[in-house]
Amino acid sequence: MKNIKRRTFLKTASAASIGALTPIKYSLSNESINGKILVVLELSGGNDGLNTIVPYGDDNYYKHRPKIGLKENKLLKIDDYFGFNPGIVGLEALYKEGKMAIIHGCGYDNPSFSHFTSMAYMHTAAPNSGEEYGWIGRLADHMAPSTYKNFIVNVDKTQSLAVKSKMHVPIVFDHPERYQREGFYVQKNVLNTLVNSNNDYDINSSREFLNEIANSANQSSNLISEAWAKYTRKVDYGIDAVDLDKIAALIEADLPTRLYYTAFRDNAFDTHVHQNNLHTRLLTYASDAIRGFISDLERMGRADDVVVLVMTEFGRRVPENTSLGTDHGSAGPMFVIGTSVKGGHYGEIPDLVNGLDDGDNLKYTTDFRSVYATLIDNWLKVDSKNILRKNFQTFDIFDRTV
Amino acid sequence: MKLIWLNIRKIKLFIFVFLFLFSFNISAKENPNWYGNIEPITSQDWDINKAKHLLERAGFGGTPEEIKFLYNLGLSKAIEHLVYYENISVSEMPKFNESDIHDPGLINFPPSRPATTKLAKETGEALGIKVKESGNRKLQPIVNKFFFWLRASRLETKRVAYWWADRMISSPRPLEEKMTLFWHNHFANNETKVRDYRKLLLQNETFRIHATGNFRDLIIATAKDPAMLYFLDAGQNIKGSPNENFAREIMELFTLGVGNYEEKDIREAARAFTGWNTNDLEFVVNKDLHDNESKTILNKTGNFSGEDVIDILLSQEAASKFIVKKLYKEFVNENINDDIISDYAHVLEQNNFELKPLLAAIFSSKDFYSEQNRGSHIKSPVELVISTYKKLGLNNTPGVPDFNQSTTAMGQTLFWPPTVAGWAGGRSWITPALLMERGNFARSFLYPDIDFIDKDFYSPDPKIIVMHKAIREGADITTATKSSNGGDSMMMMSEANMMADRDEDFNTRYGSYRGWQMAVSKVKPIIRDTININFTKMVLDSGAKNTSEAVDYLINRFLTVKINSEKRMMIISFLNNNLGTNNIIEAKTYLEDPLKMVLHLIMSQPEYQLG
Repeated sequence: MKNIKRRTFLKTASAASIGALTPIKYSLSNESINGKILVVLELSGGNDGLNTIVPYGDDNYYKHRPKIGLKENKLLKIDDYFGFNPGIVGLEALYKEGKMAIIHGCGYDNPSFSHFTSMAYMHTAAPNSGEEYGWIGRLADHMAPSTYKNFIVNVDKTQSLAVKSKMHVPIVFDHPERYQREGFYVQKNVLNTLVNSNNDYDINSSREFLNEIANSANQSSNLISEAWAKYTRKVDYGIDAVDLDKIAALIEADLPTRLYYTAFRDNAFDTHVHQNNLHTRLLTYASDAIRGFISDLERMGRADDVVVLVMTEFGRRVPENTSLGTDHGSAGPMFVIGTSVKGGHYGEIPDLVNGLDDGDNLKYTTDFRSVYATLIDNWLKVDSKNILRKNFQTFDIFDRTV
Repeated sequence: MKLIWLNIRKIKLFIFVFLFLFSFNISAKENPNWYGNIEPITSQDWDINKAKHLLERAGFGGTPEEIKFLYNLGLSKAIEHLVYYENISVSEMPKFNESDIHDPGLINFPPSRPATTKLAKETGEALGIKVKESGNRKLQPIVNKFFFWLRASRLETKRVAYWWADRMISSPRPLEEKMTLFWHNHFANNETKVRDYRKLLLQNETFRIHATGNFRDLIIATAKDPAMLYFLDAGQNIKGSPNENFAREIMELFTLGVGNYEEKDIREAARAFTGWNTNDLEFVVNKDLHDNESKTILNKTGNFSGEDVIDILLSQEAASKFIVKKLYKEFVNENINDDIISDYAHVLEQNNFELKPLLAAIFSSKDFYSEQNRGSHIKSPVELVISTYKKLGLNNTPGVPDFNQSTTAMGQTLFWPPTVAGWAGGRSWITPALLMERGNFARSFLYPDIDFIDKDFYSPDPKIIVMHKAIREGADITTATKSSNGGDSMMMMSEANMMADRDEDFNTRYGSYRGWQMAVSKVKPIIRDTININFTKMVLDSGAKNTSEAVDYLINRFLTVKINSEKRMMIISFLNNNLGTNNIIEAKTYLEDPLKMVLHLIMSQPEYQLG
């Protein structure tokens, strides 16, 4: 009555291999993998771009924000127009070292003011459409065949839509030390054996899904937990490493992963009320973590292989609200950070008078997909049209090494 | 009824009957036309498997005896028992046992540590503590209390979660608890923002009171609960410059969904909610701050109040569909078709947003019992834990493993939903790592950790621990802070760590350390008991005589979706190998551990995630 379809022993003698990560050979059928790594850091909740990179040289900023506008003397000035939020000493250092590109005014047409909708648009790189897969997932589908395992790592509790892929099952975890099946020695064989029973998949698709995930878990858990066990943190990532230390550990272990995704989670940047202290603190955490990560990569000699994209789902309303906070807005800056980056300003700086729509939101000056396209075309060296469906302007931000 | 379940001789009989019926029914194929058909099944269609499915979905599953009890009631009585539960007494369910950590100084708790110290500097007092007249670290006691409350409320909220978990396991009204959980996910407030267990406890009671009541009453009660008012900044929403947070979420997440309103509707609705606020735990409308001008919301114009807005929202066609869709996804299947949603939305509207008739219709329908909708639901971590404990026959939540740590490791922490949209549910519960955690969870109650430490009580943060040691050895605060930052061993110092001791009036890291100590002195501990189940007895009482029967009994008891025969054979031969025989009666003196290992294997299967 029941068909025996497939039997796969996925792991062997895992108990004996701790500390001895076997080098993995991948036969790459695809020439398009150039060894470069992209790390995306999402600031969820809608980071207030105007209070991150503050246009103190424009009086209109203070007119819109009489109470929560950051005073000139508090800012970390980078030129005679912009100053960094006082909390981002780490980013200021990276900027001054020429490792941080600021791309201004990133947004899209008909912006959604819903966190979840707007973030979904950022994740799919397809605003106002029903795209099913994420842009990182589609990038993976294009770059690597499904036989290339562990191409995407998403450090998070749950999987981001950004990494949803047709062909790849992303490795998703948030506690590498826990990413292991526990059990007695005698149980290992049965525990690690996956039996697919696809006789009812047409009726129960949940079951098929669970089997796929179980397969991926068996294939990746040893890699991750061993990489983490071998890693020692030698730089200061601050109060919250935002999981960038975990990514550093995997890069140091030379995982085949090329696309990493992590997030400052749980809508943290949604600063409707009394935002200044909170926002500065959040930015400090993120900025310390990014600086720690870049230092860590430099320590291991891998800094030139990696760039970090820092993004959020939307900027915030230009005028402050009465609660000493800001409501959901539209465009905002994105950052690309790394030793291969040619630091500086890119994109048109939004106009705080004529650049506002009826709802007092910034009209975008850069389609956010231009930033994605820049990374895809100029960093990963893949034709972005295949992923983003059309051509977007790119920025020349990598001419240091690429 | 509980007495019957506890009567062991009768249980034996039940199980024989149960197994017989089970094996009889396993081959029965349902009519394929049932999928998508909301007509009720007939009493002839009712069988033990349907009772099992019903208890799994309308509750958290149960023991074979509980399933048999529901089966014996017959279809309509079973549904009445689960849905129309008013006459089932819950007066013996214990109230939450509070730790007494709150005092009047903590009312109107400032939004942040800087806001607290600013208030203290300006007024000479904060959190009920006066600023020291002179001397070093004048604000330190205030900063200590600030961190005390953050930690204490957090710890107490975890105790509330424990209390609720016990209630989910032992309540004679399982649907009431399941719907309370559903509403917690629908109106998802997070302790990190609310920062007051008292408000979350009140909200939990509100969800329970209205669990299967009227949706309109529920929304109004929830909107007026201090937790929600605080969570969505309602108190900040005042005439002249409204804060849109609450108005946006009530449309987007609570009633209509994106695409059924415009931005201007949000702005106008926010005006109607102006002046809504709390006085500690009481709802108040501040008339001076309420906007009394005319508003236009979804093409209706008038001087609307907050309640009026809720009525306008519920009068939209999208409203009933929105909530029905969410209920259907939770109780029937993540995959939906629009026709059935429209049909059920009609039921909800006809009943004036009363939920019981809708739930009864869903649980009676052919669709609900169709093959496609059985065993298709991926359990949330809380469901997985509660249903596991229920199927084991436990009456309360064990202390080891820690309930909150277990569910957190699997991706869900009660009272800490990740965002205002709640947990995404369905497939998002499963990632490679989370699937492994689910198997590890089974092991953690079968083989409790003897080195268990409650990490909320005892800090795992090395910075705090290093500071603690330095202070204990007599170091001054500044020196202790420096050593907690790793001294000179770090290549560079982050901004945040340098800021820990920048103000001479107080030291934030010391405050967080002392606050922690103060919190663990006051919050009552959680009892760390472990499960104590005799699996040998459970299996032998079932009548099983050999390893195949033992494995089949455990599979039937714990799984909704059966594993295939190859895996079953693998587990049987595992048991044979570990016992050295297939005769479990012969092996009964050393059967216990091998049975636990078998149970761990069964619960590690992908199939165990389905209900």
